[in-house]
Amino acid sequence: MNTKLKVSEISKIYPGCMANDKVSLEFRSGKIYALLGENGAGKSTLVKILSGVVKPDEGEVFLNDESIKLNSPLDAKKNNIGMVFQHFNLFETLSVFENLSIDSDKKDEDLRVLVNDILKKYNFQIDLDIPVLNLSAGQKQKVEIIRCLIRNPKILIMDEPTSVLTEQETDDLFISLKQFSKEGILIIYITHKLKEVLSLCDEVAVMRKGKVVSVSNTIDEKIESLANKMVGENLNTIKKKINNFKNNEEILKISNLNFKSDDPYETNLNNLTLSLKQGECLGIAGISGNGQNELFQILSGEIITEGTSIMFRNKEIGKLNPRERREYLMAFSPEDRISQAAVPELKIYENVALNNFKSSNFFEKGLVNEKKIKEHSKKILSNFSVNTDNVELKSQFLSGGNLQKLIIGRELITSPELLVCFNPTWGLDVGAINYIHETLIQINEQGKSSILISTDNDELLKLSDRICVIYKGKLSKIMNADTVTAEKLGILMGGGSID
Amino acid sequence: MIKIEKRNDVSRSIYFLTPILAIFLTLIGGGIIFYILGFNPIEALKFFFITPISDLYGLSELLVKATPLCLIAIGLSFCFKSNNWNIGAEGQLIFGGIVGGGVALLFYNHDGFYVLPIIILSGAIGGMLFAMIPAILKTYFNTNEILVSLMLVYVAKLLLDYLVVGPWSNPEGFNFPETRQFSESARMPILFDGLRIHAGIFITLITVFLSWLILYKTYLGFQIKVSGLSLKTAKYAGFKGKTMIIIVFMISGACAGLAGVGEITGPIGQLHRNISPDYGFTAIIVAFLGRLNPVGIIFASLIVALTYLGAETAQIFLQVPKYTGQVFQGMILFFLLGSDYLLFFKIKFLGLKKNEL
Repeated sequence: MNTKLKVSEISKIYPGCMANDKVSLEFRSGKIYALLGENGAGKSTLVKILSGVVKPDEGEVFLNDESIKLNSPLDAKKNNIGMVFQHFNLFETLSVFENLSIDSDKKDEDLRVLVNDILKKYNFQIDLDIPVLNLSAGQKQKVEIIRCLIRNPKILIMDEPTSVLTEQETDDLFISLKQFSKEGILIIYITHKLKEVLSLCDEVAVMRKGKVVSVSNTIDEKIESLANKMVGENLNTIKKKINNFKNNEEILKISNLNFKSDDPYETNLNNLTLSLKQGECLGIAGISGNGQNELFQILSGEIITEGTSIMFRNKEIGKLNPRERREYLMAFSPEDRISQAAVPELKIYENVALNNFKSSNFFEKGLVNEKKIKEHSKKILSNFSVNTDNVELKSQFLSGGNLQKLIIGRELITSPELLVCFNPTWGLDVGAINYIHETLIQINEQGKSSILISTDNDELLKLSDRICVIYKGKLSKIMNADTVTAEKLGILMGGGSID
Repeated sequence: MIKIEKRNDVSRSIYFLTPILAIFLTLIGGGIIFYILGFNPIEALKFFFITPISDLYGLSELLVKATPLCLIAIGLSFCFKSNNWNIGAEGQLIFGGIVGGGVALLFYNHDGFYVLPIIILSGAIGGMLFAMIPAILKTYFNTNEILVSLMLVYVAKLLLDYLVVGPWSNPEGFNFPETRQFSESARMPILFDGLRIHAGIFITLITVFLSWLILYKTYLGFQIKVSGLSLKTAKYAGFKGKTMIIIVFMISGACAGLAGVGEITGPIGQLHRNISPDYGFTAIIVAFLGRLNPVGIIFASLIVALTYLGAETAQIFLQVPKYTGQVFQGMILFFLLGSDYLLFFKIKFLGLKKNEL
């Protein structure tokens, strides 16, 4: 069985973002292909196009030199393209067998025979008659794989399959995938983990900002070379002047903080330790989904921990919620501008009132002091050059850049001692990015501290005094920014280690 | 050619026009149903919606029915605005009725101006406590408030059943399932001789005003609004989510309890099995038809109250079951949910403009 899959000049444009930019790739059965890239590089869009979930704006897909139309997931199935998504599509309360029979047109008896054969052949140990919710993540993934195998797939696409697996389960998965490949199934493996690419795949295509930047044999690659390709080498930015903070007062200290989540899609944080001095900017790099979200929430107080685990100016703040932390002059700018930092349906002044603490006097004796909030909002709009002076405007009419200026302004107008921000320039245009960067440098110059959690390495290298990398919920050693290169960051972000 | 586009912004006029569109569609739908049943649709709709309120008595009855509906719906709006789905207002109404009724029986043969306020207050507290059950279970045990509040309706109903059949039944009542008639000082004052409209309407109006004040002018109202729009933002702003859930359920339960006590001390005057024709459930429709807005809810309660009256007249003049009232209530909700589509999408009729095709 020889399968050849070719995508030709595929483009997909989302508002404000070129998700795929003339992507052309060729895959042949018998090999395992890696599709490597950071989050937002366009891998998932390409995969969604191949599985019929998303239609491309331009370009064609060829299967064995014949052009195929993939208008729906059903078309993908008809063309024997199987797909295992990162998030499982299983009914938790139904049994394994019921989950498999739902979208199968075979008779139950025949299906059971077939599934048992597959179980035996690949040495999967799964009880078919227990509910899916009793399975481990690895077993659930196997159920998804079996679901594809039932249909004799020619192509199997795995989207970041190891993000919820343990090491042992990952090893098992790789053995199975290699076996499938030997049997002639074309495997496309989407990941941002460099080690996995090297240990599993034969060829690797690297995507960055919607484009394919390189296609090569994995034998010719090393972790460093892949890291460079993945995060990009163009580093012509001016670094911030590094100050000496040795004598400055330490304002934030986190020691040995552990966070364990009940949600398997969240990342646990292990042994988190960091400290921050006055006037310093600590950058935290990493590919998204490695615990940045959880780290931000722990810093902001959305996740509450032991009181003593976080000390801010020698006060225990681990147990305080975000509003209470603001009393200590901490400020927070979350990653998600639209559904967390601000509410689009609310007016500008109402969004300003979200950053409320006792001394702001926005609410006196439980009543809204609208006049005060509006005055305060006007000040933010003019001080942070938001392109409107109408505080009654609904925030949904602000562009991303102006909304971010409003949010940063709201957080900074109180002159906080510490600003924690998470991807502050995500999705903004160059002008807005520069403005935000200047503002962030400015607050350090004024002796205020900041923590910058970002997936943009250029930004981190430009703004940080010290940098560390978060990988699978663990922080790397904290390094001085002048000793750090994009290459080093890339290696640490992909799970490698340096010196 | 018809093109459907996403709206950038929900305009305020569309927001309040869609309920009117829903009512209009309900009238058409109702007309069709009457036509299928063999009636002249225009005549039948006239019996349903015009005849009941064409005299003073009818108007008074409209207000008698709208009073509890409006009161419950305004309470529910606190829950719904903050993403808490209290479906059990009927149970809270009945429990408020039970507690208020119990106190009224306690004061049997007592006279005094203080009797009625005590009864009303205890009814409100009863409803409030009953609503706190799903709230506390939700906040501390992660239960689903929809399920718990709904199931508690049947608990309240059965408890009322037990009380009126057993311990509280009228000793001189020949084993009818009802309590004694409350004494005069335990009854809501009647506003006009010969009409049933009672002082409960003032309680409702005061509650509407207070609700407007809380929802739009206080920190609590602001928190409710933000939580309803985005729970993530509420968490980020540091609002105390659990406390807020309990407060909105308390407000909602107290309103339902007040409605219950208003019914038994007003038009009914005693406890029996059917103290509410599902006001607690119908109020959910009222709340959404009124767009969870205090003024909107006043109008919505009048319209929905009319379906109760219409069903009664239709039963008399057209010999159709009174459940047609529920059909109309169902249609209002159905069309309202359907026309809400227009809030988020606009439909463009692209005639024959060739350059656009």
